[in-house]
Amino acid sequence: MNVASLAGAVLVAMAIFSLFVLARGAAPLQVLADMATSALGSRRAIGEILVQATPFVLAALATALPSRAGLFNIGAEGQLVSGAIGAMAAANAIGGGLPTPVTLALMAAGGIVAGALWALGPTILRVAAGVSEVISTLLLNNVAFLVLAWLVHGRWKDAASLGLPQGRDLATTETLPVIFSQRVHLGVVLAVVAAVVVWALLRFTGWGFRLRAVGGNPEAARRAGLPVGWLIASAMLTGGAIAGLGGMIELAGIEGRVRPDMLVGFGYIGFLASWLVRHHPGRVVAGALLLATIAVGGNSLQLDAGLPAASVNILMALVLLAVLGRRGRAMPGVA
Amino acid sequence: MLEAVLVGAVRGGTSILYAALGETISERAGVINLGVEGCMLVGALGAYATAVSTGSLALGLVVAVTGGMALAAVHAFVVLERHANQLAAGLGVWLLGLGLTSLLGQSYVGRGVDGFANVPVPGLHRLPFVGPVLFDHDLLTYASFLAAPVVWWLLFRTRTGLALRAAGERDEVLHAYGRSPKRLRYLAVLSCGGLAGLGGAQLATALAQNWSENMTVGRGFVAVGLVIFAAWDPRRAVAGAYLFSGAVALNLQLQARGAGISPFLLTALPYLLVIGVLALFARRRVHAVPEGLRKVFESGAVS
Repeated sequence: MNVASLAGAVLVAMAIFSLFVLARGAAPLQVLADMATSALGSRRAIGEILVQATPFVLAALATALPSRAGLFNIGAEGQLVSGAIGAMAAANAIGGGLPTPVTLALMAAGGIVAGALWALGPTILRVAAGVSEVISTLLLNNVAFLVLAWLVHGRWKDAASLGLPQGRDLATTETLPVIFSQRVHLGVVLAVVAAVVVWALLRFTGWGFRLRAVGGNPEAARRAGLPVGWLIASAMLTGGAIAGLGGMIELAGIEGRVRPDMLVGFGYIGFLASWLVRHHPGRVVAGALLLATIAVGGNSLQLDAGLPAASVNILMALVLLAVLGRRGRAMPGVA
Repeated sequence: MLEAVLVGAVRGGTSILYAALGETISERAGVINLGVEGCMLVGALGAYATAVSTGSLALGLVVAVTGGMALAAVHAFVVLERHANQLAAGLGVWLLGLGLTSLLGQSYVGRGVDGFANVPVPGLHRLPFVGPVLFDHDLLTYASFLAAPVVWWLLFRTRTGLALRAAGERDEVLHAYGRSPKRLRYLAVLSCGGLAGLGGAQLATALAQNWSENMTVGRGFVAVGLVIFAAWDPRRAVAGAYLFSGAVALNLQLQARGAGISPFLLTALPYLLVIGVLALFARRRVHAVPEGLRKVFESGAVS
């Protein structure tokens, strides 16, 4: 995917989006201009894009890495949520008193474990029972939000929140330090590091090579004596773990408390980001930045034009469909 | 309580049944359409908004079916003409439907509509137990009783159905008979969109009689899962749809009776049930997978 054709896809998407905005009775040029200002108009806005791209990068890696082994992890959404839950549980278990780096490391560990656990069910079903991970990961996304809502409305509900369903405010020791501007936190760096690590793992290790073998032709890989089941499981669980880290980072970097509608849609946007760059772990950062720009611009839809925030899904979906629809290599059996 | 659960299973299962029947047709022709979730949303808003604006439910159904087909056409085009990955394109189509209905449906949220009322079948609805469960529903639910056998008949007893299934199994055979697999797949995907749109219409104008953003909450994805459980057989899809919505109805009953379990966890159970059912049946369904679909899954997530 080169830059020119990606830009073309964005332009096509914006043109079609404008038509729908027009149909809704708003002025499309004004809406697009507001979006551009909102996304790119200030130093602070650029920082917002970095912050917004962070969970997208990790969700995209959670899609890209399993795809190397031929897997469709559509569960990054639920794995992000599970990661946030795991990180919060870790913070609660610690109960304060530990230094910040230790607390944050333990919270990250909680997120990583919880994210992998959320991928464990689909993994076992795929490897042991032959259930396609497509549907199981998709449906578990809904379940993750219900578990989050159960906790936030129940045992984690903060008595001081005046009846709002949200958890307690995180303490300073439980919050990722801000490194730049007002909101750009350490998690931004972690996301880039994660992308580099995944790229290096897939590029330079035997594990990465074997995953590609499994993804290319599982039957041949099996005959060559590769432990296909274990390789599939390792790819899927690592993907879940990465998304789980993303949930922790969003909780400790931006949200500051658990809320029932945190992270909504982030996993799907990560999925799109991964597909935009054909699952290349290095380029995932670029895909995530593009979609984060659209997302941050989309904030103005609500504020300036009074349009629902979910409308940006139109733009993102159109960008994806335009990229997918670029006449690519014909796939066997799909004509 | 059993009666209430079964009534809820049938009425609540109708929308999923339509979507599952559509998906069965599409997958039989070799195309997975995860976009059914979006087609349902478009159908739901299309029927609802039309009914609110014009007062005509019939026109609403036309808009719902047309809208579902239009969104499915996007999937068909990207997949059949541009060879895009079916699963990724389907999710893109879903997000497109979700975004569109959020944008265009904003002014309709919570307005309420005089939708499809229950029309008791004279005489039969008085039968004990069976009456309320089967003979006291809206027209779209009655129509769905016919839809499953009709889709089965179309797929398995007509020439077009045979050709359509061939498109999903071995399309090279079709070429030999001078039929175009691509045209048949278009037909299948568009039918899928239309049926999903109809399902959405039942959801918004008969079951909920209301519109809210993302009101399908995964029903379309559930339908895709149930098609596998049903081994691509429209008759078994009926069982699958009622199983899921029966679990939903059971939850509502338990909540109403104060079961002492969190309503959030109860709401999660039907989704887990579908996953569990898939786990039980996956091995037995391996040989029922249309050959063309197998290729979609095995070609992996690469481009």
